[in-house]
Amino acid sequence: MINAVLVFNNNGQPRLTKFYTQLDTQTQQSLIAQIYHLVAQRSASACNFLPLPPLLSQGATSSSAAGPSDAPTQITYRTYATLSFIMISTSTESPLALIDLIQVFVEALDRMFENVCELDLIFGYETMHAVLSEMIVGGVVVETNVEKIVAGVRSQEGTTGKRKAVQAASTSLARGALPGLGAWR
Amino acid sequence: MTASEELLLYRPGTNSVLTRFEKSLYDLIKGLRSHKGGEDEYIQNSLRECKAEIKSQDMDRKATALLKLIYLEMFGYDMSWAAFNVLEVMSSAKYLQKRVGYLGAVQSFRPDTEVLMLATNMLKKDIVSPNIPSLSLPLATLPHILTPSLSMSLLPDILSRLSHSSAVVRKKTIVCLYRISLVYPEALKLAWPRIKDHLMDEQEDSSVTTAAINVVCELGWRRPHDFLPLAPRLFELLVDSGNNWMAIKIIKLFATLTPLEPRLTRKLLRPLTNIIQTTTAMSLLYECINGIIQGGILDGEDNLQERDEVASLCVGKLRGMIVMDSDPNLKYVALLALNRIVTTHPMLVSMQQDVIMECLDDADISIRLQALELAAGMVTSDTLLTVVNRLVEQLRFVSTSSPKELFVPEAEDFENRKVSHVEAEATMILPNDYRTEVVHRILDICAQNNYSEITDFEWYVGILVQLVGLLPPLEMDDYWYQSNTTQETVFGSKTTVAFRIGAEIRNIAVRVKGVRLEACQAAESLLLVDNRPILFPVGSSVGEDVLGPISWVVGEYAEYLRSPARSLHSLIDPGNIALPPKTLQLFLQAIPKVFVQAIRACESKDSWKSEISLLLARIVEFLESLAAHPDLDVQERAIEFLEVLRLGSDALRSEACEVPFLLTSVIPSLFGGLELNPVAFTAQKKVVLPPSLRLGEAFNDDLPGLFHCLDSSLSDTDQHSTLQDFYYIQDPSPPTNKPVYDPTGAGGYLDISYQNTLGEIPNDSAGDKPRSERRERYRDDPFYIAPIGVPPGVSAPSHGFLGPSSGEIFDIDTIPIVDLKLEDGQKGDVRGEPPGTRRHQPRKLEVAGDETFGVEDPPVRDSLLGNCGVHTGNKRSQSRGFNPGGNGEGDAVSPGDEGDIEMKKAMQDVEQVRLRMQRASERIHLEGTPAEGTLVKKKKSKKKHVATRASHSDATSKGGEHLEAKKKRKKIHRHETPEIA
Repeated sequence: MINAVLVFNNNGQPRLTKFYTQLDTQTQQSLIAQIYHLVAQRSASACNFLPLPPLLSQGATSSSAAGPSDAPTQITYRTYATLSFIMISTSTESPLALIDLIQVFVEALDRMFENVCELDLIFGYETMHAVLSEMIVGGVVVETNVEKIVAGVRSQEGTTGKRKAVQAASTSLARGALPGLGAWR
Repeated sequence: MTASEELLLYRPGTNSVLTRFEKSLYDLIKGLRSHKGGEDEYIQNSLRECKAEIKSQDMDRKATALLKLIYLEMFGYDMSWAAFNVLEVMSSAKYLQKRVGYLGAVQSFRPDTEVLMLATNMLKKDIVSPNIPSLSLPLATLPHILTPSLSMSLLPDILSRLSHSSAVVRKKTIVCLYRISLVYPEALKLAWPRIKDHLMDEQEDSSVTTAAINVVCELGWRRPHDFLPLAPRLFELLVDSGNNWMAIKIIKLFATLTPLEPRLTRKLLRPLTNIIQTTTAMSLLYECINGIIQGGILDGEDNLQERDEVASLCVGKLRGMIVMDSDPNLKYVALLALNRIVTTHPMLVSMQQDVIMECLDDADISIRLQALELAAGMVTSDTLLTVVNRLVEQLRFVSTSSPKELFVPEAEDFENRKVSHVEAEATMILPNDYRTEVVHRILDICAQNNYSEITDFEWYVGILVQLVGLLPPLEMDDYWYQSNTTQETVFGSKTTVAFRIGAEIRNIAVRVKGVRLEACQAAESLLLVDNRPILFPVGSSVGEDVLGPISWVVGEYAEYLRSPARSLHSLIDPGNIALPPKTLQLFLQAIPKVFVQAIRACESKDSWKSEISLLLARIVEFLESLAAHPDLDVQERAIEFLEVLRLGSDALRSEACEVPFLLTSVIPSLFGGLELNPVAFTAQKKVVLPPSLRLGEAFNDDLPGLFHCLDSSLSDTDQHSTLQDFYYIQDPSPPTNKPVYDPTGAGGYLDISYQNTLGEIPNDSAGDKPRSERRERYRDDPFYIAPIGVPPGVSAPSHGFLGPSSGEIFDIDTIPIVDLKLEDGQKGDVRGEPPGTRRHQPRKLEVAGDETFGVEDPPVRDSLLGNCGVHTGNKRSQSRGFNPGGNGEGDAVSPGDEGDIEMKKAMQDVEQVRLRMQRASERIHLEGTPAEGTLVKKKKSKKKHVATRASHSDATSKGGEHLEAKKKRKKIHRHETPEIA
């Protein structure tokens, strides 16, 4: 299962935190900090898998060898422009499929916000949660089809997310889409 | 939804009328951005506002405040205090407000949130809502907040949602049911048949089927047997569905099922190979290979040819993934898969050595680490040299490039990545934790199977010395080092990589006699103060841990030193005082040994007297500076040797023409003797405690109570004598602090085995009455420990422990020390111990008893502190020194130092020698006794003392057998080492 989905920007500021395994707020924050620390060290050409941060590595190595378990064993991340998307998962998820899942998530966000950028996600914070909950429920992937995900979110809120984000963003900073999205698929 | 469209007007965060009076989320974010630097203050203000707003009667205001709180929660600002307000917003009639409430619940509720109990009815109502978005909210939220009681009351309603007309609801319900069954397992009984129906239904919406498969995949590894019947349907879905997401999950699921059902293997082999050969999706290809590996399809015996074909197909594909267009992700997962194959098909993997070696130099640390692990797994004696040299080369390259340059996290655009790839490779600076990992791996690779893969030990010693210089400047974080394969953690204390290197040098010196000279000289070169700037990393103290073990080597094998005097000067360099206590302890132990060697070196010179007195003066000065060291071990040893060496300088002053006997013979004899051999780290654990020895039992259940009245008792009793009384007095008259069982004559004492002593020991029954009197007398005395299970006859202060014969009180006699020894003797040739020992009286090793009196007896302290190496040296020196002297004092001391397990032959030899010695009062050198090679061990040789000492004391005959078996196994390895050497 997927234990957590995180999004943070290049400065380590969280933009989305969703934990499917219960953790108290302090542990969540230190986990985010540790993962950010790892991501920040990665070069652009490096692969999309992170070693386990200290919080997760305790006792995890032995269990991962023995087969599936509840312990998170893999961290997959992808960076789009200023944002990094992270999925923490157990060994029952396929690492390569998780990379694709992040791509699906970003594509769905892009459809919701039309050329999504970091600001959209800051102001369209609720919508981002809604997109995620169409894809993943309780740590289990329920939908990977972008059309269906977008339709699910639209049925909740129409196009408000976009409207709101545009409204917010147009008043302050210049917008820039997440480049690189088109390069995939 | 039209309803929700209407609600938009009142939506929190939009420009509704209300937002004029308080901040919307938008304002909050904007405010945050404009308060750079003063964010925390701004947030605290906002939190205060939110606290007020959320209590408002106006639902819009409440929802807005909650949304802001959720946003701040993301940054770590606690909002658990708002739990009740979250419930309020959840109960809102407007969908978008409700959604905020549910989001708040997801983000901030924990199963122990108390208000959850109030939520049950509202959740029930929402679950059966006719509005699909409203209905989806609880389904998506429940997994985060489920408790067993909540699950129980909601289960019927959720089950009913499985037949909902919308596929979206059905798939979310299936997942929700899975999470319910995790906290409330009974739910699965009801839910599983229904989920199964959906899975089996070929008309079912494909996303519902996928969700069901995902859930089965999660449940599969928990109870695989229950899902075997699904295999035909899964198989069908795998072959026909064409959905890669689902296929990946099905393969994952099969990987957990195939070990239970061998027939599945045969059935799967063809479709899986088919997929491997045809698919274009790398993720599916990879999972197929992974499934074949993890499902054990490669492991069976039948169909060998087909299996081998599959195996080589997999490895071939994996090789392709590594080589092909250098996608780092594929490289990484391919190495991951190879790491799993290497355990079963090492040959196949080692054929890919060329590409794996290339990955060792990959720009990406994740890939390197995987390749490193793989390299460690597939190394053979042929490839070891190449691999290790390559790794060392890598480290050397890194350490010569500028350490200041850090790897900057790049925020460049995706398109630019390809370009930066090349640059990154050239300028890459390896993180220190990676470098540390490399050093660990090198040591792992070389030390595996007791150095069976190493052909050239001189080369290895050279590598070790180089590694010291290549140590990364910062010690890694503790957690990075996970492959604790060589059990270097001594009694819980952390070992650094530098210490490991030192320990390797020591291991080689002890185990491989052939290169002992080289190892010892390598240790010497590392130890010399003048060399430290050259051989150690510049400007850091990271290498210091290496000094401890190598100083032991230098001391123990001082005869191999190029220049004992220089080594000695390095050992007593005033700068050493700042070293960590653990290192200093070992230094102290080495100093007299090297000193002895230095005396020998200058004995023949004319100027011997001045040289020796100069050396002595320096050593004494160094030891004096340590005599008040805060670490007790350091202090004790410093003082001990200080006294011995002062005697030496006295002797030097008085005699004129030749080197005093004390210096030529007595002091050296402290350290002469038999060779130390390694003992298995776990040997101690194999020793079975005698049933009568109850270490876990409390002396007194009411210890706090006893301490409570400490003051009153202290006032009327002299503390010292009370202690003495308690510990040593058998009969009621307090002033007699002499041990009741003071060994009368050294010889007599030494001769008797435990069993033999019985008759000679004053019968304990005589002490029974006095004991009860004393009990009465000291009932309120805090120092008098308990009538319960106290062994009354305790050792004398001089450690001349003699167990009382009365078994019910302390049945030391049941500890069959002699049994153990005899058995040792019978299988003498099997055990790895050298025949000789540095002790004379293994029979007196009855240290077992002292377990009861932790503070007083050195052996106990040894085992408790686990500082065996150091202590042992200490003990050994005592025994070597005093026993050969044949005086009574030495004999009284002896029990503390025993430890080795000897072979019978060895015992007899020693026994004879000892008797002769006692008669003639002359010294013996046991060095002549043949040593039978070295015992294999994971740990350092010094362990042996502790382990064996304890085994003597504790072993029952059964324990002896255990030990025996252990040794036998070990010995097989042991003999390899010298051969190789």
